[in-house]
Amino acid sequence: MSSYKALSVVADQPFETPEPNSSKAPSVMNPVLKFEKVGFQYDGRPIMRDVSFAMQPGEIVAVLGPSGCGKTTILNMVAGFLDPTDGVALIDGREIRGPGPDRGVVFQAAALFDWMTVADNISFSLRCAGRPRAERRQVAEEMAALVGLTGFEDAYPYQLSGGMRQRVGLARVLAAKPKVMLMDEPFSALDVQTREVLQEEVLRIRERTGCTTLFVTHSIDEAVFLGDRIFLLTDLKDGAFDTFSVDLPAPRGNPENRLHPAFIRLREAIYRRMRH
Amino acid sequence: MTSTTAATRAKRQYLAIAILSPLAIFLAWTLVTAQGGVAPIILPSPGAVAASFLDMVQNGYSGVDLWMHVGVSLQRVGVAFVTGTTLGVTIGLLRGRIPNVDALFLVPFELVRPIPPLGLIPLFILWFGIGELSKILLIFLSVFLIMMVNAQAGSRSCAVDALRAAQSMGAKRWQIFRFVVLPSALPQIMTGLRIAMGTALTILVAAELLGGDRGLGFVILDASSFFRTTYVFAGIILIGLIGLLSDRVIAWFSRRIVHWEGKR
Repeated sequence: MSSYKALSVVADQPFETPEPNSSKAPSVMNPVLKFEKVGFQYDGRPIMRDVSFAMQPGEIVAVLGPSGCGKTTILNMVAGFLDPTDGVALIDGREIRGPGPDRGVVFQAAALFDWMTVADNISFSLRCAGRPRAERRQVAEEMAALVGLTGFEDAYPYQLSGGMRQRVGLARVLAAKPKVMLMDEPFSALDVQTREVLQEEVLRIRERTGCTTLFVTHSIDEAVFLGDRIFLLTDLKDGAFDTFSVDLPAPRGNPENRLHPAFIRLREAIYRRMRH
Repeated sequence: MTSTTAATRAKRQYLAIAILSPLAIFLAWTLVTAQGGVAPIILPSPGAVAASFLDMVQNGYSGVDLWMHVGVSLQRVGVAFVTGTTLGVTIGLLRGRIPNVDALFLVPFELVRPIPPLGLIPLFILWFGIGELSKILLIFLSVFLIMMVNAQAGSRSCAVDALRAAQSMGAKRWQIFRFVVLPSALPQIMTGLRIAMGTALTILVAAELLGGDRGLGFVILDASSFFRTTYVFAGIILIGLIGLLSDRVIAWFSRRIVHWEGKR
């Protein structure tokens, strides 16, 4: 009820249409992630050129754009699945070389290991690092609790619903304590209710862990609800893209934010920008 | 509730058909031989075969206890099966995931694969003699080739995202093999085991052509050269039953090991 009141107060504020900012990131020191004039070619065909941006610790950046705009290519370069053909991609000031546990990926189709229990899936990074069994179990239980999967530790992924599988995907990334969490349209295959609950969950988890997140999506609503900033990509061949700052009241995970005038204004502004 | 009863009924029906079909064959066999239209040397009656089987159980065959024949055969198959599977799965997985390993083995193994094992018997006699080694190697080779092909195909079925997920969680190369590639390939490896077991028992009879005086293959071949058709039948049915039993055992284990298969 109190949130509804807060909402009506804000609604009285004068109507302002947000304008896209320049594509430069706010100048704060020590970005977690930094792209410096990154270019990528596939089979000699340029996909993107001179893409630069920086991400601050704890920030959620939503990368928004239609299929084939290069948003997944950016994510894959951060993950280390693809190498830039020009420029440098830096994590904590060091050049990214191949995949590593400092950059966790939540995949569109979860990509869980069906042969392992939920607990073993979640604690996989600890197993790879040679941590003892008791510690793995403890971390698995903590992370399961964080994403709301308590009681399902010993289930197998195929026994879970799509939404719960994505919770496992989220938990196993968080268990590795990455510097950046990369999410590749993770909720696009879920029904609307589940998707919204998980979006709120991502924001709630950010409050708890402060995890820096790069979130790739083709949904304007999702980008506005989740992002601190939104990169709107259309064609990256000249490196230009629009950046929108999201200004919604805390706690960001409050579902009422979806009805906030600022939410609706920003959604409209992005929509108009996409359609020119 | 209805679905449970429907599932139970389907299961009962399955079991009934699985039991009735061999009984029908047995009945047809009994009827055909009872009318006396077929010479017993071509197709003996079930009763005559059973009598020969009992004779072997009590008195052995050619001076050797029947269970000794069975044991020797099982040991040959067992040793070849375990070693052939281990090596075949290892090389198959490596071929599936590492192009240079595939290139290394491609021509040699694909050249050997179409050669019928029977065609190799003369060579194996020259190279390894007519003792145990030749027999086991012949079975080993068939098992090895089958398991290699299955493991290779299985490792190719591993999802790209699963590999990437493992890399992103810090898995080293061997950990990716152990925790992602091998489990992904397991369903196909288990199918390979069933095929390989069937083939191993087939090759067993051929391998025991290589001489010696022990083994179920020896019993069948020896009996057939003396036109003791009832003993040939008893030996064949015994091998068949061992094959059926081992297949059911592998299938049972496989359902438990690859419990996730077909669940998504």
